[in-house]
Amino acid sequence: MEEKIIKLTGRIDSNNAAEVENSIMAELGDNKDVAVVLNASALEYISSAGLRVILRIKKNFSDIRITDVNSEVYEILDMTGFTEMMTVEKAYRVVSVEGCEEIGRGANGTIYRIDRDNVVKVYNNADALADIQHEREVARLALILGIPTAISYDVVRVGESYGSVFELLNARSFAKILSQEPERIDWCVDEYVKMLKKIHGTEVPAGKLPDMKETALSWAKFVKEYLPEEAGEKLVSLVEAVPHDDHMIHGDYHTKNLELQNDEVLLIDMDTLAVGHPIFELASMFNAFIGFSELDHEQIKHFQGFDFETAEKFWHKTLSQYLETTNERKIKEVEDKARIIGYTRLIRRSIRRKGLESEKGRAEIAFWKEKLIELLGNNDTLLFCANELELEAVTENLDEAQAFVDEHLEKADCPMKAKMQIGVAVEEIFVNIANYAYRPEKGKAKVRVEVSGDPVCVTITFVDHGVPYDPLAKEDPDVTLSADEREIGGLGIFMTKSLMDDVTYEYKDGQNILTLKKEI
Amino acid sequence: MLNIQKTVENENVICALEGRLDTVTSPELESELSAVIDGAKSLTFDFEGLEYISSAGLRVLLSTQKIMNRQGEMKIVNVNETIMDIFEVTGFSDILTIE
Repeated sequence: MEEKIIKLTGRIDSNNAAEVENSIMAELGDNKDVAVVLNASALEYISSAGLRVILRIKKNFSDIRITDVNSEVYEILDMTGFTEMMTVEKAYRVVSVEGCEEIGRGANGTIYRIDRDNVVKVYNNADALADIQHEREVARLALILGIPTAISYDVVRVGESYGSVFELLNARSFAKILSQEPERIDWCVDEYVKMLKKIHGTEVPAGKLPDMKETALSWAKFVKEYLPEEAGEKLVSLVEAVPHDDHMIHGDYHTKNLELQNDEVLLIDMDTLAVGHPIFELASMFNAFIGFSELDHEQIKHFQGFDFETAEKFWHKTLSQYLETTNERKIKEVEDKARIIGYTRLIRRSIRRKGLESEKGRAEIAFWKEKLIELLGNNDTLLFCANELELEAVTENLDEAQAFVDEHLEKADCPMKAKMQIGVAVEEIFVNIANYAYRPEKGKAKVRVEVSGDPVCVTITFVDHGVPYDPLAKEDPDVTLSADEREIGGLGIFMTKSLMDDVTYEYKDGQNILTLKKEI
Repeated sequence: MLNIQKTVENENVICALEGRLDTVTSPELESELSAVIDGAKSLTFDFEGLEYISSAGLRVLLSTQKIMNRQGEMKIVNVNETIMDIFEVTGFSDILTIE
């Protein structure tokens, strides 16, 4: 419907009501099929005579709203019930961000500090009011679900755009803390990961937030067209294979979006909130700390304020702590999966921003593409299990396998003695696989550690793709023989059986699966 | 990681171990022993610093015991409780001399 904007000015009362009515009617004309917008930005006062004029207009033009209403006039309209009869939009306070400190920058807007206690997020998009509404709703949802965040209390006009105002008392972003006090990096990582786990542990009622998998799938389908056929198809199928996940992800979780207010850690910039598998979050974190700046290390300084080296360190520590492991292989495995989605996003973003039309853009896209294709060749899933390690089954990797198991046992406060016994069992099984499963070739083994129950039970599962072999079928050695009678060897499996509460073997889907159980 | 301290006095050998005696470190011990064991009449293992032993370690102890049975005696001192458990489970407590 066509919109007709009428400006109301000055005072409208019994002295001039009839005159105002006539001029408005004349302006509106005979076409009743228009939406009437009464712009009240210059309206100072309206009496009941003036209100009756509006009512008479409404009789003829049912689609009517009043905009840019100042607070005195709004009070009159509210008291007289007009706000319930029609849409009445308050005038937006005008705020200038000139010279204000930029404290955050997200996908849809930039956050400035306007005074000591308040910040404003200025939106880039043309349809900012809808974005503001959306962000307010998701921030409210997050707050109700237990995520500490700031909710905007006012909408303001900033230049040609809109902004939402938040109270943020004396707060400092983690980016700033890291830049100013680099020695606090471990504390920052602790808090940052704590919040990340809280987000990822939050289940969201169905339909409340967009599904990140859908978004990632659209990126993958876009980028597929620019990749060799096989790689492109693999990319799409990897994303398709990620199961639906109802847990929250922030979507833009970098150190400018985490604020320290007094002793409280607050998450801000909530407009990218979604549900989905954590790999999608890790992908956007990889981009924030590494991906965007991988070719030009100066980028991170403009974006976060600290240097690339700090970003790398922070990202690595974060991933290690998030996965609760210091195992470099495990960290790299998950990082590589995150990079697949990360590079996909960067390539799409650059192409959409006409990256292919400039030399610099083409060089970047070529760089990301090369990495992406290589990663696609080496990865068959985007899923990851923090408590599972896959490594080549060679005795040189025994220490690593044992250290990985030990980490999990230490977290479970496993007593020294049980730890050593489990260590012995892990060694026997791992060395067994290394020596026999793939001989004379080499192959991989997976070690998974699960700790559960009360009393606490540790379950360790070994999986390999070698020749079917049941080590438990072997007869136990006679432990009563004298040293000279005893044979050297054959002890390992016997020790494993004796030290563990339960040892089982199964051959399934071409895999040897050996499971150890022990109460600790 | 295994630290091996050998003391050779005439025909007596003392071998103090510290750390882990496992698949990776057992071959080291085996080769260190073969260098000093020839003609030794007594061999003493000091396990005070030993934290861990797996079947690979037991195999070295067993093969060394077999050699020493022919030429003298072998004993192990300062065995901690967890390692003692392993010896018991495997019957090694009956074939080794543990003090």
